[in-house]
Amino acid sequence: MSVAPQAERTLKLPRREAAVEDARRFAELAVTYCTPECREAVTLAVCELGENLIKYSASSDELNVGTIGVSIEDGQVRVRAVNRVTSPEDAQRVTEIVQKMTVSDVKELYRARLQELFANPSLPRAQLGLLRMAFEGGFRLSCSFEAPQLQIVAERPCTGA
Amino acid sequence: MLAGQVTMGIKLGEKVSVETLTVELTRPTELTLSGTLSTPTAQTEFRRLLQDLHAQIVAARTATFEVNVEALSFVNSSAIRAFVDWISRAAHAGYTLAFKTSPSVTWHRLSFSVLKSLAPTTVEIVESRASGGAAS
Repeated sequence: MSVAPQAERTLKLPRREAAVEDARRFAELAVTYCTPECREAVTLAVCELGENLIKYSASSDELNVGTIGVSIEDGQVRVRAVNRVTSPEDAQRVTEIVQKMTVSDVKELYRARLQELFANPSLPRAQLGLLRMAFEGGFRLSCSFEAPQLQIVAERPCTGA
Repeated sequence: MLAGQVTMGIKLGEKVSVETLTVELTRPTELTLSGTLSTPTAQTEFRRLLQDLHAQIVAARTATFEVNVEALSFVNSSAIRAFVDWISRAAHAGYTLAFKTSPSVTWHRLSFSVLKSLAPTTVEIVESRASGGAAS
């Protein structure tokens, strides 16, 4: 599992629904000096990852559902989410989605997922967050799982930093 | 939270705020959305509002309904799902959804073209000429 860069700004996400809005504000502040395109992308990544932490983190007495870090180094912006997951199956599912994105056209994967949702409105989970990060945000994703901790890392160029 | 009357049908000219999202039925056939949509509360109310609005559109036999999202700067993926569901209902009911988008907002530029590909005869995209923000 990779370690946090020294310059990473980290948010401990509280265990409450409105915390996604905290995450959005955190993202905006973390990359306030970057290009608008980069700010949009980082906000998207932080919010999608934050929502996943709130939805899928292990329920426990801990006050926080996990952490989200943002760092900029050598012209690359990096968003890192770390949390404890309830089920290894969820972690496996995330790993499979991320692996699929590394070898496939993300626009086509995104379109295919929207088509599935369009045809099957009763599907319980949208599962669009990671796809949007890659398609709209231009991020390369990677992940690692060492039970019970799941880490997702999203990286993209940040030319305006 | 939305006022109770809104969940029974949004009224013309009434501006409704759900946390950081603002919704207004600017014309009988146009909904304007602005702000951001990211929290579960806003998502739930937004989905309910779209369901109610769909019923109103069908009852009024509206052929084309416009949705101005130019000033909707950010949404999470649950909102994208809500748009997918709305497009699906519109396709079954036989009315057109015309989304007014801003080319300067990345998610508008990328996601609405994919949404249109789901139901090309149901979805129209009208891109504003302005470089950003709400059109007048």
